[in-house]
Amino acid sequence: MRMLKSAVVAGAVALMFASAPVAQADRDEAFADQLHTYGIYGQKDYNAWIAKLMCKRLDNGHDADAFASAEFVHGQLNRGSTTDQAWQFVGAAVPVYCPNQASALQHAADR
Amino acid sequence: MRAIRFVLAGLAAAAAVSALAPGVAAADATDEYPIPSNMLKTTCTVDQYMAAVRDTNPVYYERYMIDYNNKSPEVQRAARDRIAWFFSMDYAGRRQYSEDTATNAFYEQLAWNWPNWAKLFFNNKGVVAHGTKDCASYPPADPGVWVW
Repeated sequence: MRMLKSAVVAGAVALMFASAPVAQADRDEAFADQLHTYGIYGQKDYNAWIAKLMCKRLDNGHDADAFASAEFVHGQLNRGSTTDQAWQFVGAAVPVYCPNQASALQHAADR
Repeated sequence: MRAIRFVLAGLAAAAAVSALAPGVAAADATDEYPIPSNMLKTTCTVDQYMAAVRDTNPVYYERYMIDYNNKSPEVQRAARDRIAWFFSMDYAGRRQYSEDTATNAFYEQLAWNWPNWAKLFFNNKGVVAHGTKDCASYPPADPGVWVW
């Protein structure tokens, strides 16, 4: 009986950990790691902000397409960053922060 | 010996007093403080400036707008009116306002309701420099800059 009780408690504890909401930082961390592979560095929080704002501008129509997004992002990256890097940023940010905008990315790729 | 020491102490005190009494009082405004010179001189409209900052310093703009959106409609309107009034003045008027706010903490009444009401416009020299650089390329009237 005691063993059963401890097993239930252990299970409940495990469940508690498993169902804890995934920390937002993980998403930002993964995004930052991906940016590093493109040679884009800088503050993790800052890059996440820019990605979220890029999404916001697409969502509210301020930026009409992914080309506008790339231009916006390019303006926020370190001076000397390339257009390629801006596009890589956009390509990485959409799936992470606004998967609903995947079509915008596709349209740009098709053009 | 004691007399010499006394004289030296007197000289030191005099030097300290003269150092403390330059012509400009510490609280006076300058061309850069509390309002950056680019803000005193820009010929852009409020809408142009805000639209520019939305592109040049988007995080700064975002934070300001979050703050703005958390204010009551009355305070929001007061902020819009106040900054429009500021932009309606020429350099001399703006410089005087800068002086007034620097020397009298009670001058700007709106600050009681929203201490950071002008953060986007006055507080950060770099943000103002970026925002005023290309602001003329944005539409002069665009109320959308307050909706974000």
